[in-house]
Amino acid sequence: MKDPTELILRRETHSSRARPAIVAAIVISLLAIYGLLESMLRVLGQPPWLIDPLTAAQRIADLPNGISAMLLGVIGAAIFLVGLIFFCNGVLPGRRARHVVPDPRVAAVVDDGVVASALARRARTAAGVTREQVVVVVSARAVQVNVRPTSGISLDETRIQGAVEDEIARMGLDPSPTVTVQLSTMGVIGV
Amino acid sequence: MNGTNRSANRILLSLFGLIFMGVGGFLVALAAVPAVGSWWQGWAKPFSDDLVQLAARTQLGSGGSWIWIVVAAVLLALVICMVGWISNQGKGRASTLASYAGSADDDGASGAVSISCAVAEQALKNALMERPDLLSVSVTSFDFRGQTGIRVRVFPRQGVAPHAVARHISGLVESLDQLLGVQTPVLVSIGSGARARFTKAERVR
Repeated sequence: MKDPTELILRRETHSSRARPAIVAAIVISLLAIYGLLESMLRVLGQPPWLIDPLTAAQRIADLPNGISAMLLGVIGAAIFLVGLIFFCNGVLPGRRARHVVPDPRVAAVVDDGVVASALARRARTAAGVTREQVVVVVSARAVQVNVRPTSGISLDETRIQGAVEDEIARMGLDPSPTVTVQLSTMGVIGV
Repeated sequence: MNGTNRSANRILLSLFGLIFMGVGGFLVALAAVPAVGSWWQGWAKPFSDDLVQLAARTQLGSGGSWIWIVVAAVLLALVICMVGWISNQGKGRASTLASYAGSADDDGASGAVSISCAVAEQALKNALMERPDLLSVSVTSFDFRGQTGIRVRVFPRQGVAPHAVARHISGLVESLDQLLGVQTPVLVSIGSGARARFTKAERVR
């Protein structure tokens, strides 16, 4: 058996698909409950609510007739889209926006938002600008640092890059992202 | 970290997705291609006629046919399966962290020691609440593959270095290990919530 820490980390960095599963279960339950209602009405000899199951079967059997082709196509496309959403949720890996921080004792995961705000703080102190002038975007394998300098003060791009890379090295993120620093050509005034 | 059966989720979602895609694609084909329409009518007509005859033959006294009872039973079973599927999501909370049964010839007294999860949860929570750079802390215990695991979810303020938080919690967990004498798997999850986004960053440390 694998190390429990590894299993936990794998589970924490991937979506459990609990929400789409619940949605799918509710959709299928509602369809089944409607069928249940109509067939029970039939058993009890009551008039059908929307359509009698036998009539429905006959209507389905001679389908392109009895309904406009346009409406049929739209209904089909809608059902196909719902199926596609379920299928993609089942098949795609579903990575969550999280990184793993190595630690000898505990299994630690960090949301990308926390990484971004920590990197923004470091970039801001390295560049000597205010909070509003730095925007950091973190994805699985890339970190983009956008800095808008104060008008009239030139900034050293390599210094900011070095500071952010140093911070990432200290975090030891897995997967390790690459850093790009983008200095805006337009400065801001009045900060 | 919980007992949700993820592979079952994915298999069932893919299966239902394929069924829906098949039905939807077929309806589009029926609407768009006349040849498919005539083939479908020729293929499905005998079945629906058979169904009508079967329903007529199996007529019960009250006007219904028993095949509808069978259909209803199958649909009811489907609904029960779906409710079971939903209730399997997110299960697996644990209440006992560790238990140890002593015996008379081992340490002189027969009896059992069991440590509740609340011990570890409250110890960790109290220790972490003292840090001013963490906005909120929640500690829960889960049953994970036959052993109890602890999940620590913390929401730090903006700009706090996550590795420092992780190292601090790791140190706390190590002292908890020594205190309790058992090592349990621990997950530390450092998140950013709406509250972290709207409160001020820590200026002074």
